[in-house]
Amino acid sequence: MTAPAEAPADAAATGESSPRPIHVRPARPADLPALVPLLLRLKRLNEEFDPLLRVRDDAEGQAREVLAASLADPKAVVLAAEGVGPDRDRIVGLVHAIVRERPFYQPTREGVILDIYLLPLYRRHGVGEYLLKETSEALRARGAGVVIAEFPAQNEIASRFYAKRGFRPITARHARSL
Amino acid sequence: MAESAAAPIDVARESRRSRRRPNVAGRRRSETARLGQRAVELSRFYAGKIETVPKVPVRSLRDFALWYTPGVAEVSRTIQAEPDTSFELTGRWNTIAIVTDGSRVLGLGDIGPEAALPVMEGKALLFKWLGGVDAVPLPVRTRTPDELIATVERLAPAFGGINLEDIASPKCFGILEQLQRRLPIPVWHDDQLGTAAATIAGFLNALELTHRSVREVRTVLLGAGAANLATARLLLALGQDPRRLSIVDQRGILHAERTDLDELELHNPWKFRLALKTDGGGRTGDLGAALDDADVLLAASTPVPNTIRAEHLRRMHPEPIVFALANPDPEIWPDDARAAGAAVVATGRSDFPNQVNNSLIFPAVFRGILDARARGIPDAVVIAAARELARHAHDRGLTATHLLPTMEEFDVFPHVAAAAADAAVAQGLARHKLSHDEYLARARQRMGRSARLVRALLRARLTPAMPRPGSGAPGGSA
Repeated sequence: MTAPAEAPADAAATGESSPRPIHVRPARPADLPALVPLLLRLKRLNEEFDPLLRVRDDAEGQAREVLAASLADPKAVVLAAEGVGPDRDRIVGLVHAIVRERPFYQPTREGVILDIYLLPLYRRHGVGEYLLKETSEALRARGAGVVIAEFPAQNEIASRFYAKRGFRPITARHARSL
Repeated sequence: MAESAAAPIDVARESRRSRRRPNVAGRRRSETARLGQRAVELSRFYAGKIETVPKVPVRSLRDFALWYTPGVAEVSRTIQAEPDTSFELTGRWNTIAIVTDGSRVLGLGDIGPEAALPVMEGKALLFKWLGGVDAVPLPVRTRTPDELIATVERLAPAFGGINLEDIASPKCFGILEQLQRRLPIPVWHDDQLGTAAATIAGFLNALELTHRSVREVRTVLLGAGAANLATARLLLALGQDPRRLSIVDQRGILHAERTDLDELELHNPWKFRLALKTDGGGRTGDLGAALDDADVLLAASTPVPNTIRAEHLRRMHPEPIVFALANPDPEIWPDDARAAGAAVVATGRSDFPNQVNNSLIFPAVFRGILDARARGIPDAVVIAAARELARHAHDRGLTATHLLPTMEEFDVFPHVAAAAADAAVAQGLARHKLSHDEYLARARQRMGRSARLVRALLRARLTPAMPRPGSGAPGGSA
């Protein structure tokens, strides 16, 4: 799996310099030390959107446990994005997704993208698209007939990213403190 | 700077410093207090700094059949048929709005639109006096950037240009970007573009003076506010290598892997993009790390002397260029910077050589783009103005203490205006295309006229003479 040709329109629109393709592969337990900080960066970003997304003090240990459990679960998907060229062997992003049963609806299984994170320098240039494609394929291979992305309701960047790629709101989660 | 708090302060050096400049800060504070008191007194006496004055003859009330109804209806019909004739048949071509939400006024912070009014009046006076531009102070009560954008969009039909003023960073970037995209007239934010253009002019001459080239220099920007982010963009447009450009803020060097980057992408995408583009100039760490072997330091941060210290400058490449532009107190005093080896030093102050002053730019740029009836003001126009300003100092002989024209060199400004107008033509944005010499002649005439007008009003006693301090004279023009 290597990155597809970069979308020139995207690069031109953002005015960024050379594209930074990535390479995606299934993550291994040995990747955990590199994956945990990336997952934490994502959770800390989520803090920006809602006080009910305040990160716990023990989040680092939790991140390790959650990812380790998913790595051991054949129904879950954990992908590691590596740099290429001089950044080869460096993990610069991750995807964490699971497959859930849908007892009442068709299709009967959904793939849920829980976490998707790329270091800022590796964003744009079509790499998000590539990551999503690889994730969707991995979820399909595990029996999912629909792919769902979960992210903070106020994250407009994520909303725009998914909307551009054919995603639409399907269920909503509204919250208040107790 | 977080970085400066960590380093020990050399007590002996501190005491030498205070001997060299006995109580400068104290003297300055009392002088500022005196000026403030006098300004309140004069504001009460004159009750405002500008007024509208007819520019056509009125021989009798009968003339209003021409200036007003019924004659004026035909003028309206002409404009209705061809809206751009509003630039020929009304004062629109020479009228701009000075728009602020009062969210970051001078060093006073978010003081609200009413309190911003005297500052905007002062700016309008500068626009008229230096540039011959009719500027309308327009503080507006808006809460969100979208409200401000919508407000200015609705006001645009009356104006030939918009000057945004004293709007907090980072919302000022999005407001400027949106309005530049939407309006058919030039939109300028002086705290970004005026300051950046004056900085660039000084920077180009400092490079020349020290035999450096923009493509090769290692440059450090200290501060990531409105002015420096605009300066960074202009530097890159001039050919500065992004991997030799380090932007430093309170958290140190701005690079692509800083943990606050995700937050920046949400709240300050302009700073975020520069973080990715420069990636710290290939460095991480504090100001000292950024300055290692750097050629240029452009500081526009906080007005705290000693933010930049001698040992910082000693880490730079020999004969460094140091701009300490914080106002009123520069980040390092010029004599300290020179003692630490700086070859060229500039500040934002008029009492030191090499004042980087946005007043060198904005009246002239507006004069030029209004004379061209320009549809916009892209960075190419800003850079053309900066280059022209630099050229004049260059032609008069560059030295370490003559890097930029001073405000007294009035004859330079029409040239800067003509250069801006030429650039608008070259960009295909001029509604009114003239030759360089024609733009220059117009700018000279317009820019000279205001001073004559003010003097004539004073001579005719239509403007009362300034009352003596503390005379408690009642309002003169109220």
